[in-house]
Amino acid sequence: MRKLSANEEVILTDGYQMLEVDTKEEAQFSFVCRGKSEVFLKVKNAKQITLKTKTEENGELTFLIWNESETPCEFEESHELLKDASLQLSYGEVNQTEASHHLVVDLLEPGAHAQVGSATLTRVKKSFTMSVVSHADHTYGQIDNYGVVLTGGNYFVDATGAIKKGAYASESHQTSCALCFDEGMKANILPRLLIDENDVQASHATSLGSVDEEHMYYMQARGLSPQQCTALISTGYLMPVTRTIQDETLQQELRAELERKIHELCSI
Amino acid sequence: MNTLEIKDLHVSVEEKEILKGVNLTVHENEIHALMGPNGNGKSTLLAAIMGHPKYQVTSGSIVYNGQNVLEMSVDARSRAGLFLAMQYPQEIPGVTNSDFLRAAINARREEPISLFQFIKGMEKTIKDLEMKEDLAHRFLNEGFSGGEKKRNEIVQMEMLKPSLAMLDEVDSGLDVDALHVVANAIKQLKEETKMSLLVVSHYERFYELIVPEFTHVLVDGKIVLEGDAELARKIDSEGYDWIYKEYDVKPASEAEKRAPVSLGACATSQRVRRKEQK
Repeated sequence: MRKLSANEEVILTDGYQMLEVDTKEEAQFSFVCRGKSEVFLKVKNAKQITLKTKTEENGELTFLIWNESETPCEFEESHELLKDASLQLSYGEVNQTEASHHLVVDLLEPGAHAQVGSATLTRVKKSFTMSVVSHADHTYGQIDNYGVVLTGGNYFVDATGAIKKGAYASESHQTSCALCFDEGMKANILPRLLIDENDVQASHATSLGSVDEEHMYYMQARGLSPQQCTALISTGYLMPVTRTIQDETLQQELRAELERKIHELCSI
Repeated sequence: MNTLEIKDLHVSVEEKEILKGVNLTVHENEIHALMGPNGNGKSTLLAAIMGHPKYQVTSGSIVYNGQNVLEMSVDARSRAGLFLAMQYPQEIPGVTNSDFLRAAINARREEPISLFQFIKGMEKTIKDLEMKEDLAHRFLNEGFSGGEKKRNEIVQMEMLKPSLAMLDEVDSGLDVDALHVVANAIKQLKEETKMSLLVVSHYERFYELIVPEFTHVLVDGKIVLEGDAELARKIDSEGYDWIYKEYDVKPASEAEKRAPVSLGACATSQRVRRKEQK
Protein backbone atom coordinates (compact mmCIF):
# COMPACT_ATOMS: atom_id res chain seq x y z
CA MET A 1 0.00 0.00 0.00
CA ARG A 2 1.49 3.35 -1.03
CA LYS A 3 1.14 6.35 1.25
CA LEU A 4 0.01 9.51 -0.50
CA SER A 5 1.85 12.73 0.25
CA ALA A 6 -0.21 15.76 1.32
CA ASN A 7 -0.70 17.43 -2.06
CA GLU A 8 -0.30 14.82 -4.70
CA GLU A 9 -1.46 14.63 -8.29
CA VAL A 10 -1.71 11.11 -9.59
CA ILE A 11 -1.94 10.02 -13.19
CA LEU A 12 -3.46 6.59 -12.69
CA THR A 13 -1.94 3.65 -14.47
CA ASP A 14 -4.11 0.80 -15.63
CA GLY A 15 -4.93 -1.86 -13.05
CA TYR A 16 -5.48 -1.96 -9.33
CA GLN A 17 -3.71 0.11 -6.72
CA MET A 18 -3.95 0.55 -2.97
CA LEU A 19 -3.28 3.98 -1.54
CA GLU A 20 -3.27 5.31 1.99
CA VAL A 21 -3.83 8.71 3.55
CA ASP A 22 -2.21 9.26 6.93
CA THR A 23 -1.84 12.90 7.81
CA LYS A 24 -2.82 15.42 10.44
CA GLU A 25 -2.72 18.28 7.92
CA GLU A 26 -5.28 19.35 5.37
CA ALA A 27 -4.61 17.35 2.25
CA GLN A 28 -5.42 17.71 -1.45
CA PHE A 29 -5.28 14.95 -3.99
CA SER A 30 -6.14 14.77 -7.64
CA PHE A 31 -6.39 11.73 -9.86
CA VAL A 32 -6.58 11.47 -13.63
CA CYS A 33 -7.78 8.24 -15.23
CA ARG A 34 -7.18 7.67 -18.91
CA GLY A 35 -7.48 3.90 -19.08
CA LYS A 36 -9.03 1.35 -16.75
CA SER A 37 -8.08 1.80 -13.11
CA GLU A 38 -9.23 0.55 -9.73
CA VAL A 39 -8.25 2.51 -6.63
CA PHE A 40 -8.65 1.50 -3.01
CA LEU A 41 -8.03 4.57 -0.89
CA LYS A 42 -7.73 3.84 2.79
CA VAL A 43 -8.00 6.85 5.07
CA LYS A 44 -6.00 5.95 8.14
CA ASN A 45 -5.84 9.44 9.59
CA ALA A 46 -7.06 12.73 8.20
CA LYS A 47 -8.78 15.93 9.18
CA GLN A 48 -9.79 17.46 5.88
CA ILE A 49 -9.38 15.98 2.44
CA THR A 50 -9.99 17.74 -0.85
CA LEU A 51 -10.19 15.17 -3.58
CA LYS A 52 -10.60 15.57 -7.32
CA THR A 53 -10.87 12.94 -10.00
CA LYS A 54 -11.08 13.31 -13.75
CA THR A 55 -11.99 10.37 -15.91
CA GLU A 56 -11.09 11.12 -19.48
CA GLU A 57 -12.70 9.94 -22.71
CA ASN A 58 -13.49 6.20 -22.56
CA GLY A 59 -11.76 5.92 -19.19
CA GLU A 60 -13.09 3.54 -16.54
CA LEU A 61 -12.41 4.39 -12.94
CA THR A 62 -13.44 2.42 -9.87
CA PHE A 63 -12.71 4.24 -6.64
CA LEU A 64 -13.38 2.95 -3.13
CA ILE A 65 -12.79 5.28 -0.19
CA TRP A 66 -12.56 3.29 3.02
CA ASN A 67 -12.57 5.50 6.09
CA GLU A 68 -10.65 4.24 9.10
CA SER A 69 -9.62 7.63 10.39
CA GLU A 70 -9.28 7.87 14.14
CA THR A 71 -10.13 11.57 14.02
CA PRO A 72 -13.22 13.27 12.55
CA CYS A 73 -12.74 13.99 8.87
CA GLU A 74 -14.32 16.20 6.23
CA PHE A 75 -14.23 15.25 2.58
CA GLU A 76 -14.68 17.86 -0.18
CA GLU A 77 -14.81 16.14 -3.52
CA SER A 78 -15.40 16.82 -7.18
CA HIS A 79 -15.44 14.18 -9.88
CA GLU A 80 -15.52 14.96 -13.59
CA LEU A 81 -16.33 12.60 -16.40
CA LEU A 82 -15.70 13.20 -20.09
CA LYS A 83 -17.13 11.47 -23.16
CA ASP A 84 -18.12 7.82 -22.60
CA ALA A 85 -16.19 7.72 -19.33
CA SER A 86 -17.42 5.67 -16.42
CA LEU A 87 -16.93 6.06 -12.68
CA GLN A 88 -17.90 3.78 -9.86
CA LEU A 89 -17.40 5.63 -6.62
CA SER A 90 -18.03 3.92 -3.28
CA TYR A 91 -17.64 4.80 0.37
CA GLY A 92 -17.16 2.49 3.32
CA GLU A 93 -18.00 4.30 6.55
CA VAL A 94 -17.91 1.70 9.30
CA ASN A 95 -15.42 3.35 11.66
CA GLN A 96 -16.82 5.11 14.68
CA THR A 97 -15.53 8.64 14.17
CA GLU A 98 -17.49 11.47 12.62
CA ALA A 99 -17.27 12.06 8.90
CA SER A 100 -18.90 14.36 6.39
CA HIS A 101 -18.76 14.07 2.63
CA HIS A 102 -19.61 16.86 0.20
CA LEU A 103 -19.27 15.66 -3.33
CA VAL A 104 -20.31 16.61 -6.81
CA VAL A 105 -20.09 14.31 -9.80
CA ASP A 106 -20.26 16.15 -13.11
CA LEU A 107 -21.20 14.16 -16.20
CA LEU A 108 -19.76 16.69 -18.61
CA GLU A 109 -19.89 14.97 -21.98
CA PRO A 110 -22.21 12.55 -23.80
CA GLY A 111 -22.13 8.92 -22.70
CA ALA A 112 -20.65 9.60 -19.26
CA HIS A 113 -21.81 7.08 -16.67
CA ALA A 114 -21.46 7.31 -12.87
CA GLN A 115 -22.54 5.11 -9.99
CA VAL A 116 -22.08 6.44 -6.50
CA GLY A 117 -22.69 4.27 -3.46
CA SER A 118 -22.10 4.28 0.26
CA ALA A 119 -22.31 1.78 3.11
CA THR A 120 -22.47 3.17 6.62
CA LEU A 121 -22.65 1.47 10.01
CA THR A 122 -22.67 4.05 12.73
CA ARG A 123 -23.08 5.07 16.31
CA VAL A 124 -21.77 8.57 15.53
CA LYS A 125 -22.52 11.36 13.06
CA LYS A 126 -22.04 10.54 9.39
CA SER A 127 -23.23 12.86 6.69
CA PHE A 128 -23.32 12.78 2.91
CA THR A 129 -24.27 15.67 0.67
CA MET A 130 -23.96 14.43 -2.85
CA SER A 131 -24.97 15.52 -6.34
CA VAL A 132 -24.70 13.72 -9.62
CA VAL A 133 -25.27 16.20 -12.43
CA SER A 134 -25.94 15.39 -16.08
CA HIS A 135 -24.65 18.28 -18.21
CA ALA A 136 -24.70 16.43 -21.53
CA ASP A 137 -26.99 14.09 -23.43
CA HIS A 138 -27.04 10.31 -23.00
CA THR A 139 -25.48 10.39 -19.56
CA TYR A 140 -26.36 8.13 -16.63
CA GLY A 141 -26.19 8.79 -12.91
CA GLN A 142 -27.05 6.47 -10.09
CA ILE A 143 -26.83 6.93 -6.32
CA ASP A 144 -27.23 4.11 -3.77
CA ASN A 145 -26.84 4.75 -0.06
CA TYR A 146 -27.28 2.13 2.64
CA GLY A 147 -26.98 2.97 6.32
CA VAL A 148 -27.35 0.97 9.52
CA VAL A 149 -27.87 3.40 12.36
CA LEU A 150 -27.41 2.28 15.95
CA THR A 151 -27.89 4.03 19.29
CA GLY A 152 -26.13 7.40 19.28
CA GLY A 153 -25.89 7.41 15.50
CA ASN A 154 -26.82 10.41 13.39
CA TYR A 155 -27.08 9.56 9.70
CA PHE A 156 -27.72 12.32 7.18
CA VAL A 157 -28.03 11.95 3.43
CA ASP A 158 -28.84 14.76 1.03
CA ALA A 159 -28.75 13.18 -2.40
CA THR A 160 -29.46 15.12 -5.58
CA GLY A 161 -29.76 13.81 -9.08
CA ALA A 162 -29.82 16.67 -11.58
CA ILE A 163 -30.38 16.71 -15.33
CA LYS A 164 -29.55 20.05 -16.92
CA LYS A 165 -31.21 21.64 -19.96
CA GLY A 166 -29.96 19.96 -23.12
CA ALA A 167 -29.01 16.70 -21.41
CA TYR A 168 -31.72 14.76 -23.25
CA ALA A 169 -31.88 10.94 -23.14
CA SER A 170 -30.14 10.98 -19.79
CA GLU A 171 -31.03 9.00 -16.68
CA SER A 172 -30.84 9.83 -13.00
CA HIS A 173 -31.73 7.25 -10.37
CA GLN A 174 -31.25 6.99 -6.64
CA THR A 175 -32.00 4.72 -3.71
CA SER A 176 -31.23 5.61 -0.11
CA CYS A 177 -32.12 3.33 2.77
CA ALA A 178 -31.51 3.52 6.50
CA LEU A 179 -32.11 0.71 8.96
CA CYS A 180 -32.63 1.94 12.48
CA PHE A 181 -32.55 -0.76 15.13
CA ASP A 182 -32.44 1.12 18.37
CA GLU A 183 -33.87 4.08 20.13
CA GLY A 184 -31.78 7.22 20.58
CA MET A 185 -30.61 7.52 17.00
CA LYS A 186 -31.37 9.94 14.22
CA ALA A 187 -31.62 9.40 10.47
CA ASN A 188 -32.45 11.92 7.79
CA ILE A 189 -32.63 11.23 4.08
CA LEU A 190 -33.43 13.95 1.58
CA PRO A 191 -33.79 12.59 -1.94
CA ARG A 192 -33.96 15.22 -4.67
CA LEU A 193 -34.40 15.12 -8.41
CA LEU A 194 -33.82 18.37 -10.31
CA ILE A 195 -34.89 17.81 -13.89
CA ASP A 196 -34.66 20.54 -16.52
CA GLU A 197 -35.07 18.52 -19.70
CA ASN A 198 -37.70 16.34 -21.36
CA ASP A 199 -37.04 12.88 -22.73
CA VAL A 200 -35.21 11.67 -19.63
CA GLN A 201 -35.66 8.91 -17.06
CA ALA A 202 -35.44 9.59 -13.36
CA SER A 203 -36.43 7.77 -10.19
CA HIS A 204 -35.87 7.79 -6.48
CA ALA A 205 -36.61 5.36 -3.68
CA THR A 206 -36.14 5.86 0.01
CA SER A 207 -36.82 3.70 3.01
CA LEU A 208 -36.15 4.49 6.61
CA GLY A 209 -37.16 2.45 9.61
CA SER A 210 -36.66 -0.65 11.67
CA VAL A 211 -36.62 -4.25 10.50
CA ASP A 212 -39.96 -5.71 9.50
CA GLU A 213 -41.39 -7.68 12.45
CA GLU A 214 -42.35 -10.58 10.21
CA HIS A 215 -38.76 -10.81 8.97
CA MET A 216 -37.52 -10.95 12.54
CA TYR A 217 -40.07 -13.62 13.44
CA TYR A 218 -39.16 -15.71 10.39
CA MET A 219 -35.46 -15.62 11.20
CA GLN A 220 -35.99 -16.22 14.91
CA ALA A 221 -38.18 -19.19 14.04
CA ARG A 222 -35.03 -20.80 12.66
CA GLY A 223 -33.16 -20.34 15.93
CA LEU A 224 -31.43 -16.98 15.50
CA SER A 225 -31.49 -14.56 18.42
CA PRO A 226 -32.71 -11.00 17.73
CA GLN A 227 -29.05 -9.83 17.84
CA GLN A 228 -28.05 -12.44 15.29
CA CYS A 229 -30.95 -11.41 13.03
CA THR A 230 -29.85 -7.78 13.30
CA ALA A 231 -26.28 -8.70 12.41
CA LEU A 232 -27.30 -10.82 9.42
CA ILE A 233 -29.62 -8.17 8.02
CA SER A 234 -26.97 -5.47 8.51
CA THR A 235 -24.42 -7.65 6.75
CA GLY A 236 -26.76 -8.02 3.80
CA TYR A 237 -27.31 -4.28 3.74
CA LEU A 238 -23.69 -3.25 3.78
CA MET A 239 -21.78 -6.09 2.16
CA PRO A 240 -22.14 -5.00 -1.49
CA VAL A 241 -19.60 -2.17 -0.90
CA THR A 242 -16.89 -4.79 -0.27
CA ARG A 243 -17.32 -6.01 -3.83
CA THR A 244 -16.57 -2.64 -5.44
CA ILE A 245 -12.97 -3.60 -6.24
CA GLN A 246 -12.42 -6.84 -8.13
CA ASP A 247 -9.32 -7.91 -6.17
CA GLU A 248 -10.33 -11.03 -4.22
CA THR A 249 -7.85 -10.62 -1.38
CA LEU A 250 -9.13 -7.11 -0.70
CA GLN A 251 -12.73 -8.27 -0.91
CA GLN A 252 -12.07 -10.96 1.69
CA GLU A 253 -10.28 -8.54 4.00
CA LEU A 254 -13.05 -5.97 3.80
CA ARG A 255 -15.73 -8.60 4.24
CA ALA A 256 -14.01 -9.96 7.36
CA GLU A 257 -13.59 -6.47 8.74
CA LEU A 258 -17.19 -5.53 8.06
CA GLU A 259 -18.46 -8.74 9.67
CA ARG A 260 -16.29 -8.15 12.71
CA LYS A 261 -17.57 -4.60 13.10
CA ILE A 262 -21.18 -5.61 12.59
CA HIS A 263 -20.93 -8.33 15.23
CA GLU A 264 -19.11 -6.00 17.58
CA LEU A 265 -21.67 -3.21 17.22
CA CYS A 266 -24.89 -5.15 16.69
CA SER A 267 -24.32 -7.51 19.61
CA ILE A 268 -24.15 -4.72 22.15
CA MET B 1 -38.83 -39.36 24.18
CA ASN B 2 -39.83 -36.10 22.46
CA THR B 3 -43.40 -35.21 23.33
CA LEU B 4 -45.50 -32.12 22.68
CA GLU B 5 -48.42 -31.68 25.06
CA ILE B 6 -51.01 -28.99 24.54
CA LYS B 7 -53.69 -28.57 27.18
CA ASP B 8 -56.80 -26.39 27.05
CA LEU B 9 -55.10 -23.83 24.81
CA HIS B 10 -56.89 -20.55 24.26
CA VAL B 11 -55.38 -18.10 21.77
CA SER B 12 -56.53 -14.66 20.69
CA VAL B 13 -55.53 -12.41 17.85
CA GLU B 14 -56.26 -8.72 18.29
CA GLU B 15 -58.75 -9.43 21.11
CA LYS B 16 -60.61 -12.06 19.06
CA GLU B 17 -60.47 -15.58 20.47
CA ILE B 18 -59.48 -18.05 17.75
CA LEU B 19 -58.55 -21.17 19.72
CA LYS B 20 -61.07 -22.06 22.39
CA GLY B 21 -59.55 -24.92 24.32
CA VAL B 22 -57.30 -27.18 22.22
CA ASN B 23 -55.91 -30.43 23.63
CA LEU B 24 -53.33 -32.32 21.62
CA THR B 25 -50.45 -34.68 22.33
CA VAL B 26 -47.80 -35.53 19.73
CA HIS B 27 -45.25 -38.22 20.56
CA GLU B 28 -41.91 -38.88 18.91
CA ASN B 29 -41.98 -40.33 15.41
CA GLU B 30 -45.74 -39.78 15.00
CA ILE B 31 -47.48 -38.06 12.09
CA HIS B 32 -50.55 -35.99 12.92
CA ALA B 33 -52.81 -34.38 10.34
CA LEU B 34 -54.62 -31.23 11.31
CA MET B 35 -57.68 -30.56 9.20
CA GLY B 36 -60.59 -28.17 9.31
CA PRO B 37 -62.31 -25.49 7.28
CA ASN B 38 -60.47 -22.23 6.55
CA GLY B 39 -60.35 -19.67 9.32
CA ASN B 40 -61.01 -22.15 12.14
CA GLY B 41 -57.61 -22.08 13.85
CA LYS B 42 -55.19 -24.52 12.19
CA SER B 43 -52.52 -21.96 11.28
CA THR B 44 -53.19 -20.14 14.56
CA LEU B 45 -52.36 -23.30 16.50
CA LEU B 46 -49.06 -23.78 14.67
CA ALA B 47 -48.13 -20.10 14.98
CA ALA B 48 -48.94 -20.13 18.69
CA ILE B 49 -46.73 -23.18 19.23
CA MET B 50 -43.89 -21.40 17.38
CA GLY B 51 -44.52 -18.15 19.29
CA HIS B 52 -45.62 -15.60 16.71
CA PRO B 53 -45.93 -12.31 18.66
CA LYS B 54 -49.32 -11.53 17.12
CA TYR B 55 -50.91 -14.60 18.72
CA GLN B 56 -51.66 -14.17 22.39
CA VAL B 57 -52.06 -17.25 24.53
CA THR B 58 -54.71 -16.31 27.07
CA SER B 59 -54.80 -19.63 28.93
CA GLY B 60 -53.70 -23.23 28.73
CA SER B 61 -50.26 -24.77 28.33
CA ILE B 62 -47.80 -25.99 25.73
CA VAL B 63 -45.06 -28.27 27.01
CA TYR B 64 -42.32 -29.83 24.88
CA ASN B 65 -40.07 -32.43 26.44
CA GLY B 66 -41.03 -31.17 29.88
CA GLN B 67 -40.16 -27.56 29.03
CA ASN B 68 -42.77 -24.82 29.25
CA VAL B 69 -42.78 -23.59 25.66
CA LEU B 70 -44.81 -20.49 26.52
CA GLU B 71 -41.95 -19.15 28.59
CA MET B 72 -39.47 -19.54 25.73
CA SER B 73 -38.57 -16.98 23.06
CA VAL B 74 -39.24 -17.88 19.41
CA ASP B 75 -35.57 -18.65 18.78
CA ALA B 76 -35.30 -20.77 21.92
CA ARG B 77 -38.30 -22.81 20.74
CA SER B 78 -36.55 -23.41 17.44
CA ARG B 79 -33.34 -24.44 19.16
CA ALA B 80 -35.39 -26.79 21.37
CA GLY B 81 -36.31 -28.71 18.20
CA LEU B 82 -39.53 -27.10 16.98
CA PHE B 83 -39.77 -26.13 13.32
CA LEU B 84 -42.58 -24.41 11.42
CA ALA B 85 -42.63 -24.55 7.63
CA MET B 86 -44.63 -21.42 7.06
CA GLN B 87 -47.60 -20.92 4.82
CA TYR B 88 -46.20 -17.59 3.62
CA PRO B 89 -42.40 -17.65 3.90
CA GLN B 90 -40.84 -14.19 4.16
CA GLU B 91 -38.59 -12.71 1.50
CA ILE B 92 -35.49 -11.20 3.07
CA PRO B 93 -33.32 -9.24 0.66
CA GLY B 94 -29.60 -9.02 1.30
CA VAL B 95 -29.42 -12.22 3.37
CA THR B 96 -28.30 -15.25 1.37
CA ASN B 97 -29.76 -18.68 2.01
CA SER B 98 -26.33 -20.04 2.88
CA ASP B 99 -25.46 -17.27 5.37
CA PHE B 100 -28.87 -17.66 6.96
CA LEU B 101 -28.76 -21.43 7.24
CA ARG B 102 -25.18 -21.53 8.43
CA ALA B 103 -25.99 -19.03 11.18
CA ALA B 104 -29.10 -21.03 12.10
CA ILE B 105 -27.12 -24.28 12.28
CA ASN B 106 -24.39 -22.64 14.35
CA ALA B 107 -27.02 -21.22 16.71
CA ARG B 108 -27.72 -24.78 17.85
CA ARG B 109 -24.13 -26.03 18.07
CA GLU B 110 -21.33 -25.31 20.48
CA GLU B 111 -18.66 -25.47 17.77
CA PRO B 112 -19.43 -23.79 14.42
CA ILE B 113 -20.01 -26.17 11.52
CA SER B 114 -17.03 -26.43 9.19
CA LEU B 115 -17.44 -24.80 5.80
CA PHE B 116 -16.78 -28.14 4.08
CA GLN B 117 -19.41 -29.97 6.09
CA PHE B 118 -21.93 -27.18 5.54
CA ILE B 119 -21.40 -27.04 1.78
CA LYS B 120 -21.64 -30.82 1.53
CA GLY B 121 -24.92 -30.82 3.46
CA MET B 122 -26.31 -27.92 1.48
CA GLU B 123 -25.46 -29.53 -1.85
CA LYS B 124 -27.14 -32.79 -0.86
CA THR B 125 -30.26 -30.97 0.33
CA ILE B 126 -30.47 -28.86 -2.83
CA LYS B 127 -30.27 -32.08 -4.83
CA ASP B 128 -32.87 -33.84 -2.66
CA LEU B 129 -35.33 -30.99 -3.14
CA GLU B 130 -34.39 -30.53 -6.82
CA MET B 131 -33.72 -26.83 -6.30
CA LYS B 132 -31.55 -24.70 -8.58
CA GLU B 133 -27.85 -25.03 -7.87
CA ASP B 134 -27.44 -21.34 -7.11
CA LEU B 135 -29.91 -21.51 -4.19
CA ALA B 136 -27.19 -21.06 -1.58
CA HIS B 137 -26.14 -17.73 -3.05
CA ARG B 138 -29.61 -16.34 -3.68
CA PHE B 139 -31.24 -14.02 -1.18
CA LEU B 140 -33.64 -15.71 1.20
CA ASN B 141 -36.84 -16.41 -0.77
CA GLU B 142 -36.41 -13.20 -2.76
CA GLY B 143 -37.91 -13.57 -6.22
CA PHE B 144 -38.77 -17.23 -5.55
CA SER B 145 -41.92 -18.68 -7.09
CA GLY B 146 -44.59 -19.96 -4.68
CA GLY B 147 -43.40 -23.52 -5.18
CA GLU B 148 -39.74 -22.63 -4.70
CA LYS B 149 -40.55 -20.91 -1.41
CA LYS B 150 -42.32 -24.00 -0.13
CA ARG B 151 -39.46 -26.27 -1.19
CA ASN B 152 -37.02 -23.88 0.46
CA GLU B 153 -38.90 -24.35 3.73
CA ILE B 154 -38.19 -28.07 3.43
CA VAL B 155 -34.54 -27.33 2.55
CA GLN B 156 -34.30 -25.47 5.85
CA MET B 157 -36.03 -28.30 7.68
CA GLU B 158 -33.66 -30.87 6.24
CA MET B 159 -30.63 -28.78 7.17
CA LEU B 160 -31.82 -27.96 10.71
CA LYS B 161 -33.13 -31.45 11.51
CA PRO B 162 -35.86 -30.54 14.01
CA SER B 163 -37.39 -33.10 16.37
CA LEU B 164 -40.91 -31.80 15.68
CA ALA B 165 -41.79 -30.25 12.35
CA MET B 166 -45.02 -28.38 11.75
CA LEU B 167 -45.94 -27.98 8.09
CA ASP B 168 -48.49 -25.27 7.35
CA GLU B 169 -49.94 -25.99 3.91
CA VAL B 170 -46.49 -26.74 2.58
CA ASP B 171 -48.11 -28.57 -0.34
CA SER B 172 -49.99 -25.53 -1.67
CA GLY B 173 -48.30 -24.04 -4.69
CA LEU B 174 -46.52 -27.29 -5.55
CA ASP B 175 -47.10 -29.14 -8.80
CA VAL B 176 -47.50 -32.91 -8.76
CA ASP B 177 -43.82 -33.64 -9.32
CA ALA B 178 -42.70 -31.15 -6.69
CA LEU B 179 -45.23 -32.64 -4.26
CA HIS B 180 -43.53 -36.02 -4.60
CA VAL B 181 -40.08 -34.48 -4.20
CA VAL B 182 -41.15 -32.69 -1.01
CA ALA B 183 -42.96 -35.72 0.40
CA ASN B 184 -39.95 -37.96 -0.25
CA ALA B 185 -37.60 -35.50 1.46
CA ILE B 186 -39.90 -35.33 4.49
CA LYS B 187 -40.21 -39.12 4.71
CA GLN B 188 -36.48 -39.59 4.33
CA LEU B 189 -35.72 -37.11 7.10
CA LYS B 190 -38.35 -38.68 9.35
CA GLU B 191 -36.80 -42.10 8.84
CA GLU B 192 -33.38 -40.70 9.63
CA THR B 193 -34.24 -38.60 12.68
CA LYS B 194 -37.52 -40.05 14.04
CA MET B 195 -38.95 -36.53 14.07
CA SER B 196 -42.66 -36.08 14.63
CA LEU B 197 -44.86 -34.17 12.22
CA LEU B 198 -47.91 -31.97 12.65
CA VAL B 199 -49.23 -31.36 9.17
CA VAL B 200 -51.85 -28.91 7.97
CA SER B 201 -53.12 -29.60 4.47
CA HIS B 202 -56.43 -29.48 2.68
CA TYR B 203 -55.46 -32.18 0.25
CA GLU B 204 -55.77 -35.90 0.56
CA ARG B 205 -53.11 -36.27 -2.16
CA PHE B 206 -50.49 -35.00 0.28
CA TYR B 207 -51.79 -37.26 3.04
CA GLU B 208 -51.54 -40.23 0.67
CA LEU B 209 -47.82 -39.54 0.46
CA ILE B 210 -47.27 -38.55 4.09
CA VAL B 211 -49.62 -41.01 5.73
CA PRO B 212 -50.83 -39.62 9.06
CA GLU B 213 -51.41 -41.98 11.96
CA PHE B 214 -53.74 -39.48 13.58
CA THR B 215 -56.16 -36.96 12.11
CA HIS B 216 -57.62 -34.09 14.13
CA VAL B 217 -60.43 -31.87 12.90
CA LEU B 218 -60.40 -28.32 14.17
CA VAL B 219 -63.71 -26.46 13.98
CA ASP B 220 -64.27 -23.06 15.54
CA GLY B 221 -61.13 -23.27 17.66
CA LYS B 222 -61.69 -26.75 19.08
CA ILE B 223 -60.73 -30.25 18.04
CA VAL B 224 -64.14 -31.81 17.46
CA LEU B 225 -63.17 -35.12 15.95
CA GLU B 226 -60.15 -37.39 15.92
CA GLY B 227 -59.34 -40.45 13.88
CA ASP B 228 -56.73 -42.05 11.66
CA ALA B 229 -55.77 -41.64 7.99
CA GLU B 230 -59.22 -42.87 7.00
CA LEU B 231 -60.78 -39.72 8.48
CA ALA B 232 -58.63 -37.53 6.22
CA ARG B 233 -59.81 -39.58 3.23
CA LYS B 234 -63.46 -39.25 4.25
CA ILE B 235 -63.16 -35.48 4.63
CA ASP B 236 -61.54 -35.29 1.22
CA SER B 237 -64.46 -37.07 -0.43
CA GLU B 238 -67.37 -35.80 1.68
CA GLY B 239 -66.27 -32.41 3.02
CA TYR B 240 -67.07 -31.10 6.51
CA ASP B 241 -70.87 -30.82 6.43
CA TRP B 242 -71.42 -34.29 7.91
CA ILE B 243 -69.19 -33.36 10.83
CA TYR B 244 -71.17 -30.18 11.53
CA LYS B 245 -74.41 -32.21 11.56
CA GLU B 246 -73.18 -35.27 13.41
CA TYR B 247 -71.27 -33.38 16.10
CA ASP B 248 -73.55 -30.35 16.23
CA VAL B 249 -70.82 -27.77 15.56
CA LYS B 250 -70.70 -24.69 13.42
CA PRO B 251 -67.58 -23.44 11.64
CA ALA B 252 -66.30 -19.98 12.46
CA SER B 253 -67.15 -17.81 9.50
CA GLU B 254 -64.02 -16.88 7.63
CA ALA B 255 -63.12 -13.29 8.30
CA GLU B 256 -64.10 -11.14 5.37
CA LYS B 257 -60.97 -9.78 3.84
CA ARG B 258 -62.34 -7.81 0.94
CA ALA B 259 -60.27 -4.95 -0.35
CA PRO B 260 -62.15 -1.68 -0.48
CA VAL B 261 -63.61 -1.31 -3.94
CA SER B 262 -64.36 1.80 -5.89
CA LEU B 263 -67.32 1.23 -8.15
CA GLY B 264 -66.14 4.16 -10.19
CA ALA B 265 -63.21 2.20 -11.61
CA CYS B 266 -64.02 0.19 -14.72
CA ALA B 267 -61.97 -2.89 -13.90
CA THR B 268 -63.39 -3.15 -10.41
CA SER B 269 -67.00 -2.73 -11.44
CA GLN B 270 -66.58 -5.41 -14.14
CA ARG B 271 -65.26 -7.81 -11.56
CA VAL B 272 -68.15 -7.06 -9.25
CA ARG B 273 -70.62 -7.71 -12.07
CA ARG B 274 -69.02 -11.03 -12.92
CA LYS B 275 -69.33 -12.12 -9.31
CA GLU B 276 -72.97 -11.15 -9.28
CA GLN B 277 -73.67 -13.19 -12.43
CA LYS B 278 -72.38 -16.29 -10.70
